[in-house]
Amino acid sequence: MPVVELAEVTKAYESKVAVNNLSLSIEAGQIFGLLGPNGAGKTSSIRMMMGITMPDSGRIRLFDKPFVRRSLEQVGYLPEERGLYKKMKVLDQIVFFGCLHGLNAVEARRRAIDWAGRMEIADVLHKKTEELSKGMQQKIQFISTLLHSPGLIVMDEPFSGLDPVNAVLVEKTLLALKQEGKAIVFSTHRMEQVEKLCDSICLINNGEAVLSGNLREIKSRYERNRVIVEFEGDPAFLKSAEIAQADNFSGHAEIKLKPHGDAQKLLHEAAALATIYRFELIEPSLEEIFIETVKGKNHA
Amino acid sequence: MRNILLVAKREYLEQIRGRAFKVSTIALPLLVAALLAFSHYMEHKAGAGKHIAIVADNAALANDVRQQMLDDKRAQYTVDVTAPASAAERDELQRQVRSKAIDGVLAIDSSNPEKIKATFTSLSVGDISGGLQNALNRGIINERMIAKGMGQTEADAMLAKVSIEAMQLDKNGKIEKSNGRAITIKATLMLFLLSLPIMLYGLDMARAIIEEKTSRIFEVMLAVAKPSDLLAGKLLGVGAVGVTQITIWVAGASVFMGTQLAAELLTGDIAIRFSLTEAICFPIYFMLGFALFSAVFSGLAATCETAQDLQKFMAVAIVPLYTAMGFLPVMINDPSSAWSIAATLFPFTSPYTMLSRMGMAVVPLWQIAISIALLILTIWAVLWFSARLYRVGILMYGKRATIPEIVRWLRYS
Repeated sequence: MPVVELAEVTKAYESKVAVNNLSLSIEAGQIFGLLGPNGAGKTSSIRMMMGITMPDSGRIRLFDKPFVRRSLEQVGYLPEERGLYKKMKVLDQIVFFGCLHGLNAVEARRRAIDWAGRMEIADVLHKKTEELSKGMQQKIQFISTLLHSPGLIVMDEPFSGLDPVNAVLVEKTLLALKQEGKAIVFSTHRMEQVEKLCDSICLINNGEAVLSGNLREIKSRYERNRVIVEFEGDPAFLKSAEIAQADNFSGHAEIKLKPHGDAQKLLHEAAALATIYRFELIEPSLEEIFIETVKGKNHA
Repeated sequence: MRNILLVAKREYLEQIRGRAFKVSTIALPLLVAALLAFSHYMEHKAGAGKHIAIVADNAALANDVRQQMLDDKRAQYTVDVTAPASAAERDELQRQVRSKAIDGVLAIDSSNPEKIKATFTSLSVGDISGGLQNALNRGIINERMIAKGMGQTEADAMLAKVSIEAMQLDKNGKIEKSNGRAITIKATLMLFLLSLPIMLYGLDMARAIIEEKTSRIFEVMLAVAKPSDLLAGKLLGVGAVGVTQITIWVAGASVFMGTQLAAELLTGDIAIRFSLTEAICFPIYFMLGFALFSAVFSGLAATCETAQDLQKFMAVAIVPLYTAMGFLPVMINDPSSAWSIAATLFPFTSPYTMLSRMGMAVVPLWQIAISIALLILTIWAVLWFSARLYRVGILMYGKRATIPEIVRWLRYS
């Protein structure tokens, strides 16, 4: 049963089509990455999922039912343009958002204290929000999104503004939530996080889905034409007819094979000239797939 | 409804705990009291203690006028008489006015007893007060009566002052003593007490919306609450803050009224009383006035990016207030005139003017009912527009909306 489903959704603002005929489906226990260059239509799609704007055509279903505002009580939303009440104390703020999501004040308070410990901000609960750093404020927003234990979590650029330590903390929390069976959708520009976290992705460009599906399946569709070689000896094999491009960093070479280039042949050529410590045929990174797909579509 | 109440509660508690609420709760009544005290002082003391020289060819007339001036205890004049006065003496007195040794010269020319002329020379034309004019006329009348052979005792009896005691009849036939000065003070007080909080809380509402827009909190809120719920909650919360503040003021005023100090201060000219109708209407007009102007400001604030952007809409706040202030003398002069009735029915001035008019005359209940009905209808219409501007405007970041854009927002939503 899909937790969220967009079917042929289109949204236009004046003359600009922000989202064009977009369809996607997200299951429970899945992390879904919404990718795309700036202005591709990611935020517009998310805003329609959240009922903040309405699609011009197409259908949106939440929890296997046509969209109704009441369903939003089971959704946790962290928008890209997010803010907090600056003069409010942290605990009051989290409790307020919890109550808006249907919790009673006592339960919201209990959960807020619990989450504050989990996100390592227990010592700032009684401070005013304006006294905290941007990263701290982001953790408060993160907690506010999750306090009511939503079945669907929608996050627009959740890692922006977080330092590496806190980014890892958020990643681990998202993975734990996935284990609990939550459906998680997030948009990001950081491909390494998508590769690490996402089960499925949808790449949007100019409002249209240009690539979507299971991340493993998508990557397997692309030829394994990247080779990492660690060697000692004559680097002349890097001029092989099988190679399209090679970068040699003193014994560590990153090679891109020509279309239908033969990796085995290259290995023989390399072994003949140098001692090979590592020869690894790797799939293209998501970033490369992203750039290639977006460029390809824009040039088409 | 739950979300409306939650938003209202948050807004209410945040504002009540804020420093601005505490300061304004104390500062505004002090400001009004200071203004009233200043106006009272200016009326009674300003211009008092002036040193005036009277020059005349008729010494008896000059002394009569002098006596009338000295009888005005409030003015506390020092009066010199030079009569008859030579040209050199007149020049010398003019010089003394220029050097500020004396405040003015009253020259009385009675060469033609049927057509007496008087000139007053000073460094400020505002010095010709009603008191001086009155003293001159009474002095001339006294002199004319003496000249016609009347004794001074009879002349004094003829000139004895009679003041009118104003009585106000209410619709039940009950007669109460009325006082022009008390009515003016009360009308002004009502205008201030209603207009200041309505304006301040309306602008506060606009400021809060702009602040929330700047801090990008709206999108988080919109994921759980409808824009109309957010707007309604905010209106309710800020309105409740206003009611709390007015309740504190009324409670404070009630305590003060029971003190000996109030009994001493609020006697005679400034004895002010409030009827039950006024006590009921005051919170009603405050809430309706607040709802109207806050609804206007909410819509406008949603189109702004910064508090500076709001400045261009300040006329919306100021014009109705100035219009109401402009109508105040009209209402004091004739509270039942067509203009006075219009000012208390027109929805953008009625919250400010109705209570002032109620203090001056018995306002028919049907006029109060129509005024409230018109206000409610206008609030509904303004909310309809504002909610649409609000719904679109709060998510429009980065630039100030132009008029054509605002029209487009209204069409879209």
